[in-house]
Amino acid sequence: MKRLLTLFALCLAPTVGFATAVKQAPWAPEAAAYRLTLFMGNLSPAPWSQIEDSWEDPVAGASHAAAALSRLSPDLQVELRAALDSKDRQEIFEAATAAIHQGILSHLAAAAEALSTAEATLDVGQAQALYRAFEDGIKAADAQAYRRLGLAWLQMNSALGSKGVLGSGAQDVDAESFNAARATIEAYLNANYAPVDFAIRAKLSPIPESAILSGQVVDLPATLPPGSNIADQSPLPRLVLQFEEAGIDEADMPLVAYGDMLFDSPEIFGGPARELGITCSTCHNRSDVNRGFFIPGLSHVAGGLDVNSAFFNPLFNNQMDDPLDTPSLRGIRFTAPYGRDGREASLRRFTRNVIVTEFAGDEPTPFQLDALIAYMRAFDFLPNPQIDRAGLLTDLVSDAARRGEILFNAPYDGMNGRSCASCHTPDRNFRDGQAYDIGSEAPPFPGGTARAFDTPTLRSVNFSAPYMHDGSLPTLAAVVDWFNDSKSLALDADQRADLTAYVRAVGDGEDPYQVFEGKESQFRLAFDELTTFATTLNTLLPARDAENIALLVATVAPDLAADAGTMVNLEARPEVYQLADTLSAVGAAAAAGDWNLAETYWQDFQTLQIQIDERMF
Amino acid sequence: MLSRRGFLAATAASLSLPSSAHAEQGLKLAFIPQENPDKLLGDIRAITEWLSDQMGLPVSGFVTFDHAAAVEALRNGDADISFMGALPFVLAEAEIGAVPLLAEVYRGAASYSGRVFVRRDSGIRTLADLKGRDIAFADPISESGYLYPLDLFVKDGLIASPDQADSFFGNKFFAGGYQQAMQAMATGLVDAAGASQYADLLLTPDQQSEVTWIAESEQIPSHVVIARDGLDGATQARFVEVMLSLNGAENDHLRAYMYGPDGYVTTDASTYDGVRATARRYGYLK
Repeated sequence: MKRLLTLFALCLAPTVGFATAVKQAPWAPEAAAYRLTLFMGNLSPAPWSQIEDSWEDPVAGASHAAAALSRLSPDLQVELRAALDSKDRQEIFEAATAAIHQGILSHLAAAAEALSTAEATLDVGQAQALYRAFEDGIKAADAQAYRRLGLAWLQMNSALGSKGVLGSGAQDVDAESFNAARATIEAYLNANYAPVDFAIRAKLSPIPESAILSGQVVDLPATLPPGSNIADQSPLPRLVLQFEEAGIDEADMPLVAYGDMLFDSPEIFGGPARELGITCSTCHNRSDVNRGFFIPGLSHVAGGLDVNSAFFNPLFNNQMDDPLDTPSLRGIRFTAPYGRDGREASLRRFTRNVIVTEFAGDEPTPFQLDALIAYMRAFDFLPNPQIDRAGLLTDLVSDAARRGEILFNAPYDGMNGRSCASCHTPDRNFRDGQAYDIGSEAPPFPGGTARAFDTPTLRSVNFSAPYMHDGSLPTLAAVVDWFNDSKSLALDADQRADLTAYVRAVGDGEDPYQVFEGKESQFRLAFDELTTFATTLNTLLPARDAENIALLVATVAPDLAADAGTMVNLEARPEVYQLADTLSAVGAAAAAGDWNLAETYWQDFQTLQIQIDERMF
Repeated sequence: MLSRRGFLAATAASLSLPSSAHAEQGLKLAFIPQENPDKLLGDIRAITEWLSDQMGLPVSGFVTFDHAAAVEALRNGDADISFMGALPFVLAEAEIGAVPLLAEVYRGAASYSGRVFVRRDSGIRTLADLKGRDIAFADPISESGYLYPLDLFVKDGLIASPDQADSFFGNKFFAGGYQQAMQAMATGLVDAAGASQYADLLLTPDQQSEVTWIAESEQIPSHVVIARDGLDGATQARFVEVMLSLNGAENDHLRAYMYGPDGYVTTDASTYDGVRATARRYGYLK
């Protein structure tokens, strides 16, 4: 007897393929630790302490708070601890693989012993939960084995029978069938996950040994480890577009609408980012930040990412574990230069750098960069009636903020006679366009020169915690404390509170989060956005622009279909699928050069959109 | 590895064990393990602390092996309250006089349906098309994941009784849960799956767009919170009052400890007339 399902898609499959992220079902603790080991073991440098922690401590993404190591037999614990101490990737891989393999066999043996009891069902469930650690590797490398084992698990579950309830609905145990299924599973796992000697892995993965030995090229889909979160932040930030606030419809601005689509498209990236459905908006939700974004091994704190690691683009790996806090893009046209270190004066060049070097995308076309920049230049800060156009406080602020304003503008010896306002200049959106070494990062080597970091704007800053280039300070109060200590400002507690109140007044904003209610659902927002993106076909089809139509369709059609699962009005999902199929037909016709047919399908799309509009929530 | 026996030992060590001395121990709740009994253990600790605080009396909880054990605990007085599906409830009602208190609400309704799902590209359009084909159900005592979907084949005249299912289908599997049944169908291991109407939401977004359903059962009352026969009326009323206070988005995190419904409504025995009728037709009830 199973419960009704929740709204969330809790998927066993570890991959996502669209910009709509899938929440993974929790992993068995050992399987979670195994997958973390594979992922982090492939980083360079490998974060050994984090790999060790994934076995020694409970991990996010696991089904419950238990240390994986504590669930292993004493012998396996000893082997795994020794492997972890060795800091040898291959040795750790072999010990971790043995732990999962032995775990599956152990649970299957326990189930066989306890057949006809409820314990057998639970043991099979736990065995299958561990098998999940290997499953995508088997699926990618050996489709026949994947099917054979899948049927064996089905057969095994069925063979367990049921006692029913109070004698009703009982099903007999089928020991013969159970044993046959068990033999099938164990034979494959013994051959592929417990060989006498493992082949050396160039890259750690759950691909079975037979495939490694055969030398076959296995197209293993990119995955993120348990505990990763690339879903949009909740609550979703409010997007303030200058033209929209002025009453102009994005659908009337095809370049901007296309740029908006590109901002939401994994198609402009390459490698794992594209496979995983990561887009600009994955980290920069609605022009702001995604404070929930987290990838173990690549993030120190939520909202941060090491963009030059071995994962997204190995060519760009700087061999340093140096995640950066994701900056908000609100008001980005006013906040040059770009990059935490302010290395790039041009937003266009910086955007190209993100696409090509950080996320391994193909070189964007001038049109695509034009579109992205046109869209991003429309980002504004949140309206804030507590400050005027010159950045001065209005009558709406507290007395504490007023006292803080004086402190903000006061010179400090510890800052060479400068004030906070010297860099966070009120009439320049509380930044100055310069980069400084304020002592927030150590030099790269003794005697070396430390990096300087761009002065970040304080506009809308209340909603983008944590702070500093590495996200090391959780609150604005902590930032004030940091400056007070490191720059010897000699502010007492009341003064620090006043200064914090001032920064919070400056950094505030109206209606910072999107509100969803009734038919104004999250799906409705996505539907409106995606169909707005599609309106660029009014420009692209007459221009016979097959390349950009292909990119548009590859982004919007699967996203429409994927977002259907988030509908409140689930019964209308088939209509969304039909709309997505119609858009795909536009793309297929355009790709075939049949422009009349493409135009016909585009008309069909628009007609259908009008017909189903009322039900799209 | 931690065995089921070990798990239960840990449970006994960390949670109040059911005891016949229930009067001294306050209110005792029995929980049925779903996908993850270990997680449920932590959830129970959190929610019983909250309930104790709200009700002003000790509330403890424990995990049972299955529905049968929960019913037995209610019969013995080892449990006062249990969370249960509609089918086991009507059986418990008949056997031990259990009383329904609250029904879970999902997506605005205290009922749901069972469906037969297939892949859109399978060419399967009707239940009759599934003759000789493979199907996965959730488990043998699931209303929406077995009994009601199978009943659709009976109502269509394709089989006379559940006993004939094995000869109608090529292979009939019990996958162990909605998700497993749906995955088996979506990945092509089987041709169809019988599961809750919402079970396709357990698939990946691309899989969701690749599947559809070809038949839907009548509405099934959603899962129910029941009391043992003889639990005093004042305690029942107070429990219901406290549970109803969990409704509302601000308490999402608390309901998540108890299987995560959108809320609760009060319910009564007449809600389950249809379930009783179905149970009788299939020989579950005399």
